[in-house]
Amino acid sequence: MSTLPQTQTSAPRAAAVEVRGLCAGYGDTQVLYDLDLEVHEGEIMVIMGGSGSGKSTLLRLLIGLELPQVGTLSLLGHETARLGPVEMLDLRRKLGVAFQGGALFSSMSVAENIKLPLREHTKLDEATMDIMARLKLEVVNLSGFGDLMPAELSGGMLKRAAIARAIVMDPRVLFFDEPSAGLDPIVSAALDELILRLREAMNMTIVVVTHEVESAFKIADRITILDRGRILEIGTPDEVRNSSNERIQNMLNRRSTEEPLDPAAYLRRLTGNA
Amino acid sequence: MLRYVEQAGRRTLDGLDQVGRASSLLGESLFWTFLGRRWRQPVRVRAVFAQMMQIGIAAVPITTLLATAIGVMLAVQSLYSLGLFGAQSFAHVGISLSLTREFAPLIVGILIAGRSGSALAARISTMSINQEVDALRAIGINPVRFLVAPALLAMLIMLPSLTMWANLVALSAAGLFVSASLDVSLAAYTSNTMSVLVPNDILHGLGKSILFAVLIVIVAALNGSRVTGGAEGVGRVTTRSVVHSISAIVLADMIFGYLATQ
Repeated sequence: MSTLPQTQTSAPRAAAVEVRGLCAGYGDTQVLYDLDLEVHEGEIMVIMGGSGSGKSTLLRLLIGLELPQVGTLSLLGHETARLGPVEMLDLRRKLGVAFQGGALFSSMSVAENIKLPLREHTKLDEATMDIMARLKLEVVNLSGFGDLMPAELSGGMLKRAAIARAIVMDPRVLFFDEPSAGLDPIVSAALDELILRLREAMNMTIVVVTHEVESAFKIADRITILDRGRILEIGTPDEVRNSSNERIQNMLNRRSTEEPLDPAAYLRRLTGNA
Repeated sequence: MLRYVEQAGRRTLDGLDQVGRASSLLGESLFWTFLGRRWRQPVRVRAVFAQMMQIGIAAVPITTLLATAIGVMLAVQSLYSLGLFGAQSFAHVGISLSLTREFAPLIVGILIAGRSGSALAARISTMSINQEVDALRAIGINPVRFLVAPALLAMLIMLPSLTMWANLVALSAAGLFVSASLDVSLAAYTSNTMSVLVPNDILHGLGKSILFAVLIVIVAALNGSRVTGGAEGVGRVTTRSVVHSISAIVLADMIFGYLATQ
């Protein structure tokens, strides 16, 4: 668990992310049911759950790639559904997203990837953008890799480069999608350290979606456990670890709780076709 | 029987849905092109130039080769068919009108659909699969403005330009062949051709090329954005995009030709 000062602060902090009564799905298939969630400013919130729990859908909603069917979502005090395109654009500049596979633009070099948000949203000159890209590459320990193409990077380096792009606008909220997925334990641990370091250095609110139990307990101030589209528990790592909920204990102890799958229902869930 | 009716109905609805999506995509592309700056999402000139290089400049050699072949082919067929009536001296009429009004825009359209339309569909579908389109939206960049609008603008500039180039090359190639075959001077052949052609013939071909430009980009973008699966899905949408855009070009050509000559 993180031991940074934010976790011990007793004064109430504003909610950077606030979800109220959120329901979502694809077509007639419901994926998320009546979620209530708050992520405080400066906090690291880890959203955990097994496959099909709805955590990826929740992340897509949080970063504005999907719209909720019911309920409200507020980011940094702004209810997203009420924002016009320009206001939404202003809000997006305060958010950063590091996707699972990096999602770097394959036709651009690493440095060009990092400079893209600056090029699109600021009027900085080329030299300043170069400096900022170099600085962000230093933060993620990728100095000197700016001229490489994404295809030339390893999995861990791709994720680091994606983080550099996500933080180039100095966002106030940073979202991570499965940062440790597909990485060996050493690279994964280094990424966890990087996430903690980012919060410490830039005082960001960080939301991490993962199914990696070890990583979650290492970085989280609080953990949200999602199961079959519903929140089972929200609490500190200790609270979650000591939870009496059997499904949570099964998940933490990697015991299978799989129920017999209805193939047709599973296919509908995958394709979004009712 | 009922199953076939059901299938036909479903396909008709799907087709109508596609037409609706295509119209919406075209509207959105034009919106970002003309009003993007006001919404702080301008279409970048640099991106348009990059697309113009890929769509137009890089296609000049193959366009030149095909236009030469089409010009000579038309000359050969015209001389043969008119020779049956002893009217070979009128070959320039059929060659010049069919090249400028029909063959040049059609061949360039089909060539660019296969070359650049497929590349655009592959690019958008690969980006969708790799979450790059999601990343664009997360960064605050509208994907239509970033990916489709520059390609549409570049296509609208380069397809008519390539068509003009194809006109010039094909007419010259046909002229060289006819003048050599009939033993007349190239200057005399050119003068006869110029006396037949009116600006409306050239504009007819250019009008078609503008229509084809829109069709190629919208069909490619629409197919690219509907990708499912991995690498296989990219291959599938790329092939589908080429087939759809060539079909759309040929059908649009027929309708345009009919309406413009009424």
